[in-house]
Amino acid sequence: MKKSLSVAALAAAMFVCGSAANAEDTVKFWYHFDNADNPMADLVSRFEAKNPGIKIEAENIPWNSYYDNLYTSIIAGSAPDAAMVKMHAQPRLVEMGALEPLDDRIAAWDGASDIQENLFDLTKGPDGNQYYLPVQYVVLYLYYRADMFKELGLEPPKTCDDFRNAAIKLTRDTNGDGRKDVYGFGFRGGKGGHDHWGSMVLSREGASFDKGGLTNDAAVAGTQFVVDLFEKDKVFPPSAPNDGFKEVTGAFKAGTTAMTIHHIGSANDMVAALGDKVSATTVPECGGGRWTSFGDESTAVFSSASNKDAAWKWIAFLSSEGNNKEFNESTGQLPVTKSDSANWTLHPKRFVDATVASLPFAHMLPNRPETSDFVNTEWPVNMQRALTGEITAKEMNEKIEALFNH
Amino acid sequence: MTMTMTASEWPSSRAALAKRVLPYALLSPAVIVTLAIVFFPMLQAAWMSLHDYVLWKPNAISFVGLKNFFAAFNDEVFWISLKHTVIWIGLTIPSQLLLGLITALLLNQEFPWRPLARALIIIPWALPSVVIGLMWVWIYDSNYGILNDFLLRMNIIQDSVPWLADPDTALYAIILTLTWQGFPFFAVMILAGLQSIPKSYYEAASIDGASKWRQFWHITLPGISGVLVTAVLLRTIWVANSIDVIYVMTGGGPGYSTYTLPLYAFVKARTNLDFGYGSSLAVLFTIMLLGVVVVYLRKVGKDTK
Repeated sequence: MKKSLSVAALAAAMFVCGSAANAEDTVKFWYHFDNADNPMADLVSRFEAKNPGIKIEAENIPWNSYYDNLYTSIIAGSAPDAAMVKMHAQPRLVEMGALEPLDDRIAAWDGASDIQENLFDLTKGPDGNQYYLPVQYVVLYLYYRADMFKELGLEPPKTCDDFRNAAIKLTRDTNGDGRKDVYGFGFRGGKGGHDHWGSMVLSREGASFDKGGLTNDAAVAGTQFVVDLFEKDKVFPPSAPNDGFKEVTGAFKAGTTAMTIHHIGSANDMVAALGDKVSATTVPECGGGRWTSFGDESTAVFSSASNKDAAWKWIAFLSSEGNNKEFNESTGQLPVTKSDSANWTLHPKRFVDATVASLPFAHMLPNRPETSDFVNTEWPVNMQRALTGEITAKEMNEKIEALFNH
Repeated sequence: MTMTMTASEWPSSRAALAKRVLPYALLSPAVIVTLAIVFFPMLQAAWMSLHDYVLWKPNAISFVGLKNFFAAFNDEVFWISLKHTVIWIGLTIPSQLLLGLITALLLNQEFPWRPLARALIIIPWALPSVVIGLMWVWIYDSNYGILNDFLLRMNIIQDSVPWLADPDTALYAIILTLTWQGFPFFAVMILAGLQSIPKSYYEAASIDGASKWRQFWHITLPGISGVLVTAVLLRTIWVANSIDVIYVMTGGGPGYSTYTLPLYAFVKARTNLDFGYGSSLAVLFTIMLLGVVVVYLRKVGKDTK
């Protein structure tokens, strides 16, 4: 008895020593910024000054392999304690049991009431728990060259027909060498281009990811509309099937395309290149409705985190007034707090207006595990095959429908 | 001398044992490392290929036998990728070989600056694949690319061609890139072979009145055939497995038009996180490549001996 008591005492002493040596809790945080310089440093040092005893190890992971790295690190048992995450990854992360529910913590948090309406609903988990804490958002809209529209006497397109007509007129030879040098629309045929496709297809009445939602006439007509713009009207640059973000924004800034779809994150870059010549409006109404993509970004605490309280404190800090503004000044996106949104001056007003005007018909992709494959392989591969005439518009829609309804 | 003295002082059986163990002991570090980083992952891949192994479903890993392999045979993309792999190897290796042979014959001539030319020729081989990929993406670019610009100025084409975005040209455009990257390897290997052929053979042949062509056919080719067999074998294995240049230039697109089997296996495992199916593709391809190598060595290896 005596012996076991002394063993217990020894163990307790060791435990105390151990935790004393480990007084500083480290939170490993993964994020991705396009911005090459490290804007996290200021936020980290301010947080650490406020919360002595917590150390933040923030690591910028390159976007192209962000999720590959995240999933493999979770399987390998070396996941970060908290990370920036998008909605399309949530069903998989929940299925893996990798996320920590935040409901109780959010309920007890003062900052919760400052988060914009609906954002918690939009980011709810597939099982009804709240795993995500929103940190920034964007909505996709149409960028257009105001100067070219004016020159040709065009109005910003309200419907898909307007859009097509404008694109055909804008596709032309401007320097008289007999070759086209401006294309109407910069279409993103590579990974990430489902947003462009969605605005021209998912907007149509009856189009959805449910059974029969993509194989009906309206949805097939939508995909056919996209294919025709490329094959028949030739209003996309010939490289469109392979083009990604870099090529699409690069061509628009260089004046090779007159319209494209992206979000406010690229607004300041576009203005730097084109000044007042670039403006923005909502995506056109296609086939009876409008659809644009809601670009979300949240933070989450992982179930494997060694100190979940410290990790929560850090992500709550990022979504609080002032800090959230600073965070979004680095990423060029929009703050999720009401207080920071009220006095937001980073972007020219016309882009903020286009974003706000797009909110009523902004949607997210299905909250399902298949969505990752849709984004990463199924959509780009089948869109490219449809654009290059290897499969028909109907076959493309069938492939995507089959992915979601097997 | 001292070695034998010491050894003979030991009981003879221990000395014999030590002598037998020593080579293994010396080899073991290398063998252990190879086992750990080559054979263990190979066995793991074989094991995974027999399972439903999807990384994001860690609780649903189950043994499925050969299901993944049958699925591959019924998978349209598998056959498309296999066809591309055959074109990929079948065009790249002969072009590299031919270009390498011509380069080596040129570099074997006497001319001023020859050492410099020999050093420069190795550059494509020495550049990292990612750099080569990015460089050629720009060369092929349909708006700013130098290839289109050149062909337009020469009036060979009327409109710029989206080389990498057109499924009819994308694969061949990448094959050209890879040919450019790999021909210096052949050039250097063949050059070494050429220099081992004694000059006296050529002198004797020309005294007998043999033409240049006959000298090439009867002296040069047999002289470098050993080198050729090895170089072709090595390059076939490397080119078959190389996905880096394709991955950088098109990522497999447009559609499946630049998918090769190793790339398809990689995309399945790394992007779709389906390690079971990805591994079965990799295992299948390894078996096929092994078959090609065995047939090649039996046929060609025997002839040259």
